[in-house]
Amino acid sequence: MRRAFLVLFLVTSAAAADEVITFDEHIKPIFREHCQKCHGEDEQKADLNLATFADVLKGGSGGEAVVAGRASTSLLFESITAEDEAERMPPKKPPLPEDQIEKIRQWIEGGLRETSASQSMVAARDTSFQPANPLQFDGPPPMPEGFPDFTPPAVKRPLPVVAMATSPRAPLVAVAGHEQVALLDANRQKPLGSLPFPEGQPNVIRFSLDGRVLMVAGGKPVQSGSVVLFDVKTGKRLTTIGDETDAVIAADLSPDQQLVALGGSGKAIKVYGTADGKLRYKLEKHTDWITSLAFSPDGKRLASADRAGGIHLWDTAGGGILLSLSEHKAAVRALAWRADGRLLASGGEDGLLIWWDANDGWPVVNKPNAHPPVRPEGQYGKLPNGVLALAFGPQGQLLSAGRDRQVRLWKADGGAVKNFPTESALPLQTGITSDGKTLVAGDDAGGIRWWAWEG
Amino acid sequence: MKRLRYLFLCVSLFGQAAAEEAPSFRRDVMPVLFRAGCNAGTCHGSARGKDGFMLSLFGYDAKGDYYRLTQEMVGRRVNVAAPEESLLLLKAIGKVPHTGGELFTKDTPYYKTLLGWIEAGAPDDADSVPQPVGITLTPDRIVFEGGNGTERTVVTARYSDGTTRDVTNLALFLTNNPATAKIDENGVVSATGRGDTYVFARFNRFTIGSEVIVLPEDKDYTWTNPKAHNYIDEIIHDRLEKLRLLPSDLCDDETFVRRLHLDLTGGLPSVDEVRAFLADTSPDKRTLLIDRLLKSDGFTDLWTTLWAEMLRVKGGGYAPSATDVKAADVYYDWIREQIAANRPLNAFVADQITGTGSNLTSGPANLYTMLVHDVKVTPKNLAADFSQLFTGVRIQCAECHNHPFDRWTMDDYYGWVSFFTGIQRKLGVEPREFYVFNDRSAVPAKHLVDERPVPATVLGGESSVPAGEDPRKALAAWLTSPENELFSRNLANRIWAHFMGRGIVEPVDDMRVSNPPTNGPLLDALAKNLAEGGFDLRAFVRDICASRTYQLSARPNATNADDTRQFSRSQLRRLRADVLLDAVVKATDGERGFSYFPKGTKAVQHYPRTPGDTTRPMTGDAFFDTFGRAGRASVCACDTKAEPTLSQALNLIAGDTVQSQIGKGAVIDKLLKANAEPEAIIGELYLRALSRSPQPDEMSAMLGLVGNDTKDRKAYQDIFWGLLNSTEFLFNH
Repeated sequence: MRRAFLVLFLVTSAAAADEVITFDEHIKPIFREHCQKCHGEDEQKADLNLATFADVLKGGSGGEAVVAGRASTSLLFESITAEDEAERMPPKKPPLPEDQIEKIRQWIEGGLRETSASQSMVAARDTSFQPANPLQFDGPPPMPEGFPDFTPPAVKRPLPVVAMATSPRAPLVAVAGHEQVALLDANRQKPLGSLPFPEGQPNVIRFSLDGRVLMVAGGKPVQSGSVVLFDVKTGKRLTTIGDETDAVIAADLSPDQQLVALGGSGKAIKVYGTADGKLRYKLEKHTDWITSLAFSPDGKRLASADRAGGIHLWDTAGGGILLSLSEHKAAVRALAWRADGRLLASGGEDGLLIWWDANDGWPVVNKPNAHPPVRPEGQYGKLPNGVLALAFGPQGQLLSAGRDRQVRLWKADGGAVKNFPTESALPLQTGITSDGKTLVAGDDAGGIRWWAWEG
Repeated sequence: MKRLRYLFLCVSLFGQAAAEEAPSFRRDVMPVLFRAGCNAGTCHGSARGKDGFMLSLFGYDAKGDYYRLTQEMVGRRVNVAAPEESLLLLKAIGKVPHTGGELFTKDTPYYKTLLGWIEAGAPDDADSVPQPVGITLTPDRIVFEGGNGTERTVVTARYSDGTTRDVTNLALFLTNNPATAKIDENGVVSATGRGDTYVFARFNRFTIGSEVIVLPEDKDYTWTNPKAHNYIDEIIHDRLEKLRLLPSDLCDDETFVRRLHLDLTGGLPSVDEVRAFLADTSPDKRTLLIDRLLKSDGFTDLWTTLWAEMLRVKGGGYAPSATDVKAADVYYDWIREQIAANRPLNAFVADQITGTGSNLTSGPANLYTMLVHDVKVTPKNLAADFSQLFTGVRIQCAECHNHPFDRWTMDDYYGWVSFFTGIQRKLGVEPREFYVFNDRSAVPAKHLVDERPVPATVLGGESSVPAGEDPRKALAAWLTSPENELFSRNLANRIWAHFMGRGIVEPVDDMRVSNPPTNGPLLDALAKNLAEGGFDLRAFVRDICASRTYQLSARPNATNADDTRQFSRSQLRRLRADVLLDAVVKATDGERGFSYFPKGTKAVQHYPRTPGDTTRPMTGDAFFDTFGRAGRASVCACDTKAEPTLSQALNLIAGDTVQSQIGKGAVIDKLLKANAEPEAIIGELYLRALSRSPQPDEMSAMLGLVGNDTKDRKAYQDIFWGLLNSTEFLFNH
């Protein structure tokens, strides 16, 4: 049992381990049927020969045809899946059958095995979770001891839980409400009180690494936006940062609490100093709205994502770009760092859930359709399958929420553990408490769901 | 306990009904987005949306719109906690910056509907609300006497549950001609100038029109009651009288003999034919001439060419597109045989629809090579061209959204495309040969919005293809049935347009609700006559040519100088490129060969036939290029161009057409050799070019040009050149 676990640990590809796809058995017949008239022994258009394994690896005049482990950047895979008919292979023919495309994808992702005896050509990556030494903080885990005197505004119905956070040290969950943030006791699953946020709708809530500060970002759409820092214990406002013309959609507080990064419809990321509230630098690279921002646990890097699927990693010291992570084809909805800072997870409306190696930007685990919706009878076409929220737990486990109305728990290496249906409402936010024993989700009806977990 | 609960439920239901019902997304909210223009093509209805927010164009996808409003960015566009802070509302009333500006104010029913819906929690209502099944616009006909006035219209929607609702304040309005009548956003029509036009209301996926006639205040008008020759005139006279127009007089015999020859045979009458006709004193000589020309080879040649042009017959040398010269020959010859035999037009079309077999031996199978001109048969392209050609409907608008100005929905479109998904060509025994066949295992086309396969369905009808059968059989049966008005009206209108210079619906290949016929009863009657007459081309044409309307003079009277749409007079029509070239050759006794065709081939017998790739526009002759003969690059009627150009003028003045044909034919030399008098020579040149004798003042002017040296060939050549360059020669009038 233990051995099996280890073996699984080292399997790095996302391909389901059911069947090993090999060139000789699965791929060669597909190439022979569809490609070899132009890319074979007799003719090699674009200098590409797809007749033998060695030739395939050699590539053509356009460069490498296949990149082991990464279908999305393999020219061959791009060609057979191109939307544009003029670019798609085979030319002037319908696209390859979906099952054959999927085989080719799995073959590339699985590391281009020639035969069932071949080794995967993808370097094995150690994705094990390595918790750093427990952080030492003074005093007990910060819990609210008082709340400002404040009458929450009347609402027609609860605000969907568009933002939520769990304290990294205390049994505490913060949840967005209309012009307020409610704090809940995770052990008793009861509300403790509310912090006023007259700035508008809280779109992002984050605890500082020491659990003492609560960051709330948001505002009024196309009117105003800002980020407010609260003292968790007293409920007092510490500072207000930013004066935007639209609600802040993405924001994070650096682990040392020195920086706040924020973004939204403006496409540029603005990084402010918390001490003086002054703009430190702007990061201008994204081509669409900023949807998520997350500082790495060591504070050295900032991950940012946009509505077009772009993800960038920035150096927080100088503001330079370190890596661009391109896999997502639609809006990225969530970014989350694993506590050891080695992996970054991203989820988006394209259904992809990806664990990235933060050192070199390699998609270590790439799960397409991570939240597969159940197809209602008689319904055709693409169903919304976006990944909406991500939260890592203290042991490196990941909790995701998706448009399939499921909250899903994943192992540190990307293996599925369990799913929790939320049928009556769409889960928008997830969290795992600091002890790892309670899973939380907030939904679009304004409800909070709790699951005890002994993992 | 159960009982009690039941009672409680009843009470609460009554309580709800008494209170104001929450607005429904599909029934109430979607119409507001439509009326306010949110989902128009220039705004969020554009294919990529606007400023990051997309709605389906004019609301074809309510489900998707619901998702984008409420689910795509939860809490932003619609805020159920604080409804008035929803971006949807703030943008609409212009409280926050909005590219589209302020669309309505807070005190409007539009705002209240949106707010009420969000206050109710922005619920979806899929499958639970009745769908609109049609709309009416009342009154359906408005006549303004004395050139001014206003009238209010009312739009009523009918729903699938049998209810109706006044949707005037949710509809959009437009006019086809603001110079005649305007319509404002409240549906109030006002007269702006003399004429007839249509105003339209749009709601949901429906468009409906009301006719507006603005009559001048002319008290002197009296209907002269001209004698109708047949049903065509009766309908047109009725229309003209209503519009206070009078038809022009009948044209003279010289005009008639030339007009009829050009329209029926594509060629000028010979000098002898003109003389014989003018000399004929029998009262029914016009009808006799019509009958004679209908039987002529010229008629067959001309109508073969007109069909070959519509069907895009052209042969090339690029084998993979299956349009080899030999295939074009086979198709052309087959068409000519059908026209010569006066094959019923519906049978002629049906044969092509079910065409199967080799492109080199089966004429009708070439519908699926020539209509396509590509190395592959793309069902969508084929479906679009097929519809435009045989029904006049441009169904392709419904590929990405319901047709905004017509009745066609995306369901109609994909059902239509499914007739063509199985059509394939496989290589025959030689590279030029392809077999056209229907692949019965082909899957239906998938709907763009939800990717649901839509089974083959005729336009506006129900799915009716028996499983396993070639769907083209059902398609042919439906299309060419005498009951199918889409088919008969299209054919009748196209044929009418050939003779009158304008369709009753114009352009002839754009039949839609918002482009109504200028004389609806006329098109109905023509279509009915064509269908009931067994789609007999010659019988149908005979009625048109025998009508008083066809035989009218182009000269306007006091009432109809501005009329170009009601057929109150003959319209001047520029000769088609091929007819013009034949006219020059015939008038001059000249000769003009065509590459790849035998000597003596007429221009109207010519079809593009050259080595090369047939996908590009190609006319096969430089003269045709210059004079706008269709390059057969599309099925669009606009492919045949009638606009004059500078290069046309230069070609006729200084090019090698007129001058060289005058030289080749040597008409003048022959006349001089026969010692003809100057008057006789000039008279003959007039008859040759214009099918009439010169007026006395023309004759004296011409004699002045000839001068004393009456044997000077050059002077006559100049006169002939002048006649062949005259507007009168270049036009059918």
